[in-house]
Amino acid sequence: METADTFLQVAKVSHSFGGLHVLRGVDFSVPAGSLTGLIGPNGAGKSTLFNIISGFLLPQRGTVRFDGRDITREQVQTRTRAGLIRTFQTPKVFGKLTVRENLMIGCYRHLASGVVGNMVRSSRSRAEMELMQAQAAEAGERFGLSAVMERPAGQVTAGMQRLVELARGYVSRPRLLMLDEPSSGLNSTEIGQLRELLQRLNREGITILLVSHDMQLVDVATRVHVLCFGSIIASGAMAQIKQDERVRQAYLGV
Amino acid sequence: MSPLRRALVWGIPFLVWAVLPFVATRHVVDLLVFAGLYSIAGLGVAFLLGQCGIVSLAQSVFYGIGAYCTAWFCLHKGLPSPVGVAAGIALSTGIAALVGWPILRLSGHFLALATLALGIIGQVLFLEWDWITGGTLGIGGIPRIAPFGFAFDTPLRFYFLVWPIALLLLVLHHNLLHSRNGLALRAMRDSPEAAAVLGMDIHKLKVQMFVLSAALGSVAGSLFAHYVTFVSVDSFAIDRAISFLLLAVLGGVYTVWGPVLGALFITVLPQWLSRLGDIHAFVFAAALIAAVILLPEGFGGAIRNWWRARLAK
Repeated sequence: METADTFLQVAKVSHSFGGLHVLRGVDFSVPAGSLTGLIGPNGAGKSTLFNIISGFLLPQRGTVRFDGRDITREQVQTRTRAGLIRTFQTPKVFGKLTVRENLMIGCYRHLASGVVGNMVRSSRSRAEMELMQAQAAEAGERFGLSAVMERPAGQVTAGMQRLVELARGYVSRPRLLMLDEPSSGLNSTEIGQLRELLQRLNREGITILLVSHDMQLVDVATRVHVLCFGSIIASGAMAQIKQDERVRQAYLGV
Repeated sequence: MSPLRRALVWGIPFLVWAVLPFVATRHVVDLLVFAGLYSIAGLGVAFLLGQCGIVSLAQSVFYGIGAYCTAWFCLHKGLPSPVGVAAGIALSTGIAALVGWPILRLSGHFLALATLALGIIGQVLFLEWDWITGGTLGIGGIPRIAPFGFAFDTPLRFYFLVWPIALLLLVLHHNLLHSRNGLALRAMRDSPEAAAVLGMDIHKLKVQMFVLSAALGSVAGSLFAHYVTFVSVDSFAIDRAISFLLLAVLGGVYTVWGPVLGALFITVLPQWLSRLGDIHAFVFAAALIAAVILLPEGFGGAIRNWWRARLAK
């Protein structure tokens, strides 16, 4: 069901660990500009699929296409350069760097100064530092991190770390932002704020793929795919999904 | 910091540095020259360890390559010293890139062992290829650095050559640390996965840093050859690589200037302690152990932490 505006296309992806078939010919797509959700119960294969899309795992079968290009076997950093940025279920901030430095380094994929240029402080090197500073300051304000900018990122609360990771991803100007269980460890107020934040980012043109089992959060998605025992069992709007008999049996438990 | 305090913080060390060689004995100045040479080579090792987590026991090889290139080009070919230095850098960085590309896929202990192997191979080749290195007999009569007829031929004169070079290299590394690459290095140490997600090519960065470290080793080696005018394989054995690593750890691998303190410690202290007689080796060993246990971040880290705590007050 690839259409002109399909941004990410996962086709017939299968993967097994030993004898355990985790993914069985998964097909789904993320349209450009959408806020797409991927839900499923624990053990459904969400993380495996997520790792395959982001390049941390090579699928045994099937292809992943991003913006019309086959990226199935490309390295993580090559995907990043194309604009595909992910976060992690347990936030991976650079713990010894300050929050500000974490945000600054988000620009990395847009910068090009070399080692020697940086040693002699070439004009490009200085311009890049200014750009990084400016972008970090802007993102810090936007994500409500201004008060903790100078603290080591490893020492702020878990909820803050999640924001730092998200803000860092935002600074890298992703074309597709993939979020892995972004609400885990957050309380319901924080989840509410996260929902608004994601909607705002999406409105600004960032395509988002949200992987979660948190129904309160996934509600923001305009389109949802349900993964169950390694297969997509339903796709559609949330309201529609909630009515689906198979989904109710397999996942919602009602 | 007020301008006055800033002036004091920078001015006092500078004054001590400038006046010291005129009041110290020739022997002490000689030691200080070695401390300068070791600071340069040790900076390379410290930067690798502190910023990339790479334990290198191969620095003696690049130190040796720099020295032999200088000996070969300046003595046998009669070319000016910059040629020797440049040739040493070219050969060292070439070898570092070729060898670093595969071995930097390893990590932790395996990588340390690989660099140790490189250090041992270098030592054996320096010994066996005596047609170029002179083997254990060495090569003597290497010309001094003498730009425009002014020869750096005494410890005092060489002191004012080696330390400005060391300072320049420290500044360059300081700049690197506070740039996109420096941030990337520190980031990938904290979380390699997240670094990859942001587009960093970790392996390439590590290879670049290994190459840079080799260049420092080579520069130090070239200067060493010009200073002592005699090089033999004994100067480039594995124990030299260990002393570079030791001074890096002692000085502190997270600050750029830590290796300077480490180099002063391992060159000056043993000589100073030797007046104690036979037990001086034990005292030095005890001081080493105490330093490593009490100052896990080295002298540089301890001073930096103390300074930050002061500023915070």
